[in-house]
Amino acid sequence: MSHAAQPPKTAPVQIPASAMMIRVMGVVSLVCGLLIVITYQGTLQPIRRNQETILRESVAQLLPGVQKQIIYQVQPDGSVRILDDVQASVPKLFAGYNSSGALLGIVIETSERGYADVIKAMYVYSPEKQAIVDFKVIELKETPGLGDKITSDRDFLANFRNLEAKLDAAREKLLHAIVTVKHGTKKNPWEVDAISGATISSRAVGRMLDKSARQALPVIARNLGRIQRGE
Amino acid sequence: MHHAHGLVEPSPSESMESFLNGLWKQNPVFVQVLGMCPTLAITNSVRNALAMGLATLFVLVCSNALVALVRKLVPRQVRIATYILIIATFVTIVDYMIKAISVPVYKALGAFIALIVVNCIILGRAEAFASKNPVGKSILDGLGMGIGFFFALLCLGGVREILGAGAFLGYPLFGPNYQPWVLFLLPPGGFFTLAAWLLVFTSWQARKKRRQAPAEVQS
Repeated sequence: MSHAAQPPKTAPVQIPASAMMIRVMGVVSLVCGLLIVITYQGTLQPIRRNQETILRESVAQLLPGVQKQIIYQVQPDGSVRILDDVQASVPKLFAGYNSSGALLGIVIETSERGYADVIKAMYVYSPEKQAIVDFKVIELKETPGLGDKITSDRDFLANFRNLEAKLDAAREKLLHAIVTVKHGTKKNPWEVDAISGATISSRAVGRMLDKSARQALPVIARNLGRIQRGE
Repeated sequence: MHHAHGLVEPSPSESMESFLNGLWKQNPVFVQVLGMCPTLAITNSVRNALAMGLATLFVLVCSNALVALVRKLVPRQVRIATYILIIATFVTIVDYMIKAISVPVYKALGAFIALIVVNCIILGRAEAFASKNPVGKSILDGLGMGIGFFFALLCLGGVREILGAGAFLGYPLFGPNYQPWVLFLLPPGGFFTLAAWLLVFTSWQARKKRRQAPAEVQS
């Protein structure tokens, strides 16, 4: 930086005692720490509320007619329990119920590296149809005009009106992996037809659904009774 | 940054001077060309530019004030560490506040909020100004520089959103038939827009200099 220590003409350079420097930095750190703690405490509730509102709004958009939402967290042993803190970074299942209390579908969050950055999305799994019945990108930084078509291209989004996601007989893994295929070559109900010109982003969508369904669907199958009853 | 700052108590005109300095004559973006990373990265919409401008303004004013407050206590050897600590504190505070106010804005700005810590405008003002001046004057300096930065971000964000999305603050301007000039939302558009604004500012300043006494042009 600009000011190199300029030795005074007479006395040698006065270096303050280390204790002095430590004291000053300690006091400044203490004040800074206090300021951060106060802000953290003050913003904790609004932040939690905001995130919960956003999640619930996204779920409501994906499940039209939803009256009640229950957020489950998936525990390490594969069981589920009702979540108390939305901020916790655990795998979550958002179950939506209609006015008569019947399960409409389960919304699941997923993410995968796209072309520019990680794409975050949510999809709806219908245990009744054993299929993915809706898909919505929550966050993306893909190239405008190309990769971001995964949020708007009608033909592409039609893939997710009934994308097969069946489990095998043991209900442990997917019967068919969900894959993205080249534009115009979709033959099977578990394939995602890519957008031409946005192959990387389309593939990322296929991968994120496959990865997430592989993990979440067996959990849902094991706990379906509880989720349907809303316990 | 070669201007000399007096260490004496400021007169009202001097205070005004340090405020206007950052706003205009020493505008951090258009004149000093500092803080280019957020300037180029987040000015693809007016809303992002507004949020980043306000966040930086807040950090700049608060850190300038605190640095000026402790300027006589901090030994020279640990001053940079102390300034960074102070700046990082206010950045963390702003990070929490944005998250509490609006999650979409927080998501749009992403890592760039945390990166305000390394915005050289802020450390620059702490070292070049706040460490040598009283609290009041340092706050004014922070306000001037912060508003100057805010103004510059808005200039870039405005042009980029209008051309690149055909909108201002999300409101469409040109009707449904406008084919947006998407390039302006992408990184190259940031460089083009910045270059255009720099051109405007430098040519305008050059003209002003020419109008003044010709001897001053030499300096």
